[in-house]
Amino acid sequence: MENEKLQQIAKKLRFEAVRMVYEGKDGHPGPALSIADIVATLYFDVMNIDPKNPEWEDRDRFILSKGHSCPIYYAALNERGYFEPKVEHFNLRQLGSMFQGHPSMHATPGVDMTSGSLGNGIAIGAGMAFAAKALKKDYYTYVICGDGELQEGVCWEGINTARGRNLDNLIVFVDRNGWQSYKSVEFTVGQNNVADRFRAFGWHVQEIDGHNIAAIKDAVAAAKAEKNLPSCIVCDCVKGKGLSFMEHNNAWHKGVPTDEQFAIAEKELGGK
Amino acid sequence: MTSFKGTREAYAAALMDMADEHPNIMVISPDSLKAMRAVAFGEKYPERYVECGIAEQGAVDTAAGLASAGMIPFVGSYAGFLTMRGGEQMRTFVGYTNLNVKFIGVNAGILGGEREGVTHQFYEDLAIVSSYPNFTIFTPADAAQCYHAVQKAVEIDGPVYIRAGSGREPVVYDVDAPFAESGITVWKEYGDDAVLFSSGFVLDRVLAAAELLKEKGVNVTVADINILYGKDPSEILKVMAKSSCLFTVEDHNINGGLGSYISRLACENKPAWVTRIALTDYAESGPAKELADAYGFSPEAIAEKVVSTLKK
Repeated sequence: MENEKLQQIAKKLRFEAVRMVYEGKDGHPGPALSIADIVATLYFDVMNIDPKNPEWEDRDRFILSKGHSCPIYYAALNERGYFEPKVEHFNLRQLGSMFQGHPSMHATPGVDMTSGSLGNGIAIGAGMAFAAKALKKDYYTYVICGDGELQEGVCWEGINTARGRNLDNLIVFVDRNGWQSYKSVEFTVGQNNVADRFRAFGWHVQEIDGHNIAAIKDAVAAAKAEKNLPSCIVCDCVKGKGLSFMEHNNAWHKGVPTDEQFAIAEKELGGK
Repeated sequence: MTSFKGTREAYAAALMDMADEHPNIMVISPDSLKAMRAVAFGEKYPERYVECGIAEQGAVDTAAGLASAGMIPFVGSYAGFLTMRGGEQMRTFVGYTNLNVKFIGVNAGILGGEREGVTHQFYEDLAIVSSYPNFTIFTPADAAQCYHAVQKAVEIDGPVYIRAGSGREPVVYDVDAPFAESGITVWKEYGDDAVLFSSGFVLDRVLAAAELLKEKGVNVTVADINILYGKDPSEILKVMAKSSCLFTVEDHNINGGLGSYISRLACENKPAWVTRIALTDYAESGPAKELADAYGFSPEAIAEKVVSTLKK
């Protein structure tokens, strides 16, 4: 798909994510907006998927390891046609809703793996990737995790396994927006050198602008060209990207827009 | 079938025997391949063995990913490293997702952990796993039963936890005796003065206690419970109905294992006195047999507890 069209889709997904949180009166809009361009590129260009057959065994897999960003995920699945009929009101986090507070593989068609307990996506992705090798299938497994999330030790267990087992069919995006719940990643662990860390663990590493569609596409192609090594694509992102009052404002890690703020979102993200 | 040196050897043998028939069976190792006696599996089926290193959380996660793609992963390691360190992963990514992952927890109980000491003895695993919905819990009483339990686990579509030891498990069952689907096997029916329920590797001790009791004129029924918190406890309830004095014996903490299970069944179905013989503290290093004796699992201690309780 053309980059310009993907950018438009990402914008639409951003609006839908904000609308979802606004209507549900709960959720994490800032982390969702941060990865909108990556998710849009994966679901509308990169991934080999069939929304009408979400359990297709040859499909590419996706794990949103930073599961709290799920509003953008749900919006992408909706726009991509996973739900019949298309969802108008998500009822995010409401009783009986198929859109849980964090992704649940049995609640939502198209969700390949439950997530939200931070740190687990890479190791689970390693399992999916190993299964592809064992079954002689050529699907890829994509994981998005956060830079703060990498503080979880189990991330590095999965990183070791993927390297040890030469899982070149595993591609991990790190949303390097620099923030976590309380403060910056740098404040928390002294440095936010994601690329250096992955390199030290023997991965193939690229660093890109996480809001540049062309760069995301190119990085995936380069990752696929790498044989024997798992790939990490470190994406410099802006938390809350696309919405003026959310960008670079970590107060929007979790929060609900007021009526006035939602009106701004409609204007800036083309909701109306 | 031949006999096995212990439950871990039985586990590995069962996997080898099923490997060709079930090509999706895989072995996930948090550097436990040697400890699980599964080196031969890894060598014969390298594409079905995933080494994750000393990393139980990641190993459980990796197993979940494999299961989501249709594989049947077996994760074997020390019972507590799985259920405690990897406990959240077992709950959220295997239990909640209801994925087809099988767990073998070794060094369970003091008979399993014996000389290693408290860091490698685990008597809390059943309490933990029994609070994770979707898990089936098997407590085989000896090596041959463990062999059959591993085979039975493959027939179940969903998470299974099998409790295993470290090679100190005395042989009780006939090697070909099936793993009871009813969750209970009655071993002795000397009388209805009391029913003694056993679970796991203390069965031989409970059977010996029954003989001591018989000599004293106390005639009891002894049954082995091999499935905890199973979906259909009807056969267990029938045996419970034989007496209003029930005893449970388990190499596990007093909370959350067999004693809790039988107490619950009694409360919900037919009130009875339930006396639980189990661990109430951390143990220590020692030879398995001496250790079990020291912590209240000698036949004499079990018999004495029954006698003193019945006098009340």
